[in-house]
Amino acid sequence: MDEVPGAHPYGRSSRYSEVEIGVYRCRDGTEVRYAKRRLLPRLDDAAEETAAHTVSSGERPDQLGQRYFGDSGQWWQIADANPTLDPRELTDEPGERIAVPLPGGFPGGMGGPGVRNG
Amino acid sequence: MADEPVGRGPVHVSLYMGPKLARPVPAEVTEALLSAQITSTAGERSGFQLAFDLTKKGALIERLLPEGFFDPKTRVILAVSIKGTAFVLLDGLIVRQEVGASNQPGRTTLTLTGEDLTLLMDLEERADRYPNLAPSQRVERILAKYADYGIDARIIREQIPQPPREQVRVDYQVGTDLQYVNELARANGYTFYLDPGPVPGHSTAFWGPEQRLGQRQHALNVNMDVHSTVDQLTFAYDGTAREEPQARVQDPVTRNAPLLAPPDIGPLRPPLGRRASPALKRRTLTGTAKKDEAMARAEALGRAATSADAISGSGQLDVNRHGYVLRARELVGVRGAGVTYDGDYYVKSVTTNLRPGSYQQNFTLSREGLIARSGTVRP
Repeated sequence: MDEVPGAHPYGRSSRYSEVEIGVYRCRDGTEVRYAKRRLLPRLDDAAEETAAHTVSSGERPDQLGQRYFGDSGQWWQIADANPTLDPRELTDEPGERIAVPLPGGFPGGMGGPGVRNG
Repeated sequence: MADEPVGRGPVHVSLYMGPKLARPVPAEVTEALLSAQITSTAGERSGFQLAFDLTKKGALIERLLPEGFFDPKTRVILAVSIKGTAFVLLDGLIVRQEVGASNQPGRTTLTLTGEDLTLLMDLEERADRYPNLAPSQRVERILAKYADYGIDARIIREQIPQPPREQVRVDYQVGTDLQYVNELARANGYTFYLDPGPVPGHSTAFWGPEQRLGQRQHALNVNMDVHSTVDQLTFAYDGTAREEPQARVQDPVTRNAPLLAPPDIGPLRPPLGRRASPALKRRTLTGTAKKDEAMARAEALGRAATSADAISGSGQLDVNRHGYVLRARELVGVRGAGVTYDGDYYVKSVTTNLRPGSYQQNFTLSREGLIARSGTVRP
């Protein structure tokens, strides 16, 4: 997928697409733009829309991304839905059950139609 | 995409339905979905058509259809996820349902036709007055009433400022909200449309000039052997499309009505072609003499800008082969159509045809001049 023109330095398919861009002012007045810290989504929000996957030996997160999303670069969505900090922990034990989010999820969850935003 | 089994490929469709609060539909409904056709246009209402399979003893015909699950004014949201990145393609209301009963088993279909959420603004006629409000402020006040459907307003100030004065004139609305907003957009050379997204249940109402700036989408290649991404592409140059509006404004003191100078349409239509098409027609605008000078100039500018797109193109592409989804109301480059018609175009409308295993788009392009301005397009 492609980004909306000039909206954000990171495209829609990146995990940093929702991240706020900050500006750091150096002592001499030059401005440096940086991406602020990305907070992981809450696990209990994501738990409703996941499917279970049993790890077999030799699997890697990027293979799961290719298998479930059609794009190996989307492995981070699987890592987000599981209580792990190191993505390699996802698939290091064969037989472990991990949660794979269903495709069609939106970053930050459903906006919830009907929410007032005056 | 085409050789993947259905349900395991990179494209997934999610459907949400319900009265005002759309919720994910039951599994029987998504299994029965045969095809979806969604049109999004700049300056016009977007529409959709969904076809479902009505099995004889299925849940749709036994339970959901009589319960009113598919009744008019039901909200429909359709989101497509491509390679794990989801975006909203449609947010609208059902207007009409058709059941085509067939003698052959499996051929009975339910077809839902509908329009996007601007239909809400077109339901009741009102009369209202807007003292001391500029056109963009009037639009803002109208759109604020529809916030409970998740419509956020994005409004650009008008190009020629028209400061309102209650002592001189008060503007009235007669007709529906949508008609009035479109009328204000036409009088300023702007467009009004709803853009669904970024999340289901929200959409952005845009009132402003067509967005002919910013990064181009990935180029459409035609007649380039193995690199062709477009199935077909035709261009047309209509010589009589462009008009030069003639407007007169009467000076209340001296009583003479001089002709206004022809407006510069650059701010509304940044040139995309090197050789601008000439305006063959001269159209006299009626009723401008009794207006303020700013209003008459805005109308002349709007008329000159909206009629400037003399060159139009239309074609068809398969997302599977193109590799990207073409979005309406943005710029895109064209390669391989010859030096006259290559270059950047504004995508006027895109019609998406979704079926299990195929994702096709019909599109129309427009531009105001021939010959590309630069030798390259974004690949």
